[in-house]
Amino acid sequence: MTDVGLIALAAAIAIFSSGASSLGEGFLVGKAIEGMARNPEMYGKLRSSMIIGAALVETCGIYALLISILLIFVYGH
Amino acid sequence: MGDIYNEESLKFTFFRPEIFVALCIALILIVLAIIVGIQARRADFKKAPKGLLLIVEWAVEKLDAFTLDTMGSGFENFGGILLGLIPFLFLCFTIGITGLPTPMNNLAVPLTMALVTFGFIHFTAMRYNHLKYFKRFIDPIPVFLPINLISMWAPLISMTLRMFGNAIVGWVLLSIVNWSLESVSASLFSFIGSDVNQIFLVPIGTPLLHAYFDLFSGFIQTMVFVFLTVLFIAQEKPEDIDDNVALATRKEVKE
Repeated sequence: MTDVGLIALAAAIAIFSSGASSLGEGFLVGKAIEGMARNPEMYGKLRSSMIIGAALVETCGIYALLISILLIFVYGH
Repeated sequence: MGDIYNEESLKFTFFRPEIFVALCIALILIVLAIIVGIQARRADFKKAPKGLLLIVEWAVEKLDAFTLDTMGSGFENFGGILLGLIPFLFLCFTIGITGLPTPMNNLAVPLTMALVTFGFIHFTAMRYNHLKYFKRFIDPIPVFLPINLISMWAPLISMTLRMFGNAIVGWVLLSIVNWSLESVSASLFSFIGSDVNQIFLVPIGTPLLHAYFDLFSGFIQTMVFVFLTVLFIAQEKPEDIDDNVALATRKEVKE
C-alpha cells in the first residue's frame, strides 16, 4: 500500500464523530445532574440510568475509534 | 494485505485462543452451577445457607426482582438466563487482567451472545403475536418490505459491535501504552544490557488503564447488554395484553 497518508487522513476524519458523541454525553450528564439537584431523592435511580445512557451514547464514539483503528492497522500495512 | 487472506490463515480458525478461553470460562461456570445444584439439593431449608449457596441465593433473589421490575409478568423464568449470562459476559471482559487473551477480542464471541438475544427477541414476538408477527415486515405499506428486512438486523449489529468495539479499543490502547513504556524503559535502563530493561516502567502506567478498560468498562458493558436484552424482549410483549389473562392462559396450556 502506498497511500498511507490518505489512510491516515481517512482515520482522522473518522474520529470526528467521537466529538459529537462526547457532546451528547455532556448534555446527558448535565441534564441528569440538573434532575438530581431538583429532586435529590431520585439520586440513585438517575445515576444508574445516566451511566447506562452514557454507555449507549459512547457506543457511537467507539464505532468511530474502531473504524479508525481498522483503517490504520488493517489497510495501513 | 495479501497475507491476511491466504489459505494458511483460514485453516483451523475455530480454535483461536480467544474461543478456547471462552469455552474454558463456560466450562468453569457449568461446573460451578452443578456444584451449586448439588448443594441446593442437599441443603437443609431450616438452616441459613452458607458460602457459595448464600451468594447464589442472593443473586437469584435480586435477579428475580429485577426481572419482575423491568419486564413485568409473563417472564418469570427469565432470571435464570440472566444468572448464566452475567457471569459469563463479565468474566469474558475481565479475564484479560490475568494475561489470558480476552475472548471479546474475537468477533465470534460477542456475535454469539448478541445472536442469543436476537433469537430471544423474535421468539418472544412470535410467541405473543403468532401470525401477526409477520405484519411488522410490511408495517406502513408493503413497499417498505426491503427496508424493514434490512433494519431487522440493526439490534444484532449494534449489540455485537458495542461489546467488540469496547474490548478491542481497550486492548489496542493498552498495547500502545505497553509498547511505548517498554521502549522508554529500554532506553532509560539501557546500561543493564539485557531484555530485562524493558519491564521497569510498565507496572507504573498500566494498572489504572487495566482497571478502567477491563474492570469498569467490562462491568458497564455487561450491565448495558443485560439491560438492552431485557428491554428489547419486554418490548415485544403487546401492550394491550392483560398480564393476568396472559398468565392464566399460560397456566391452562401447561396443565
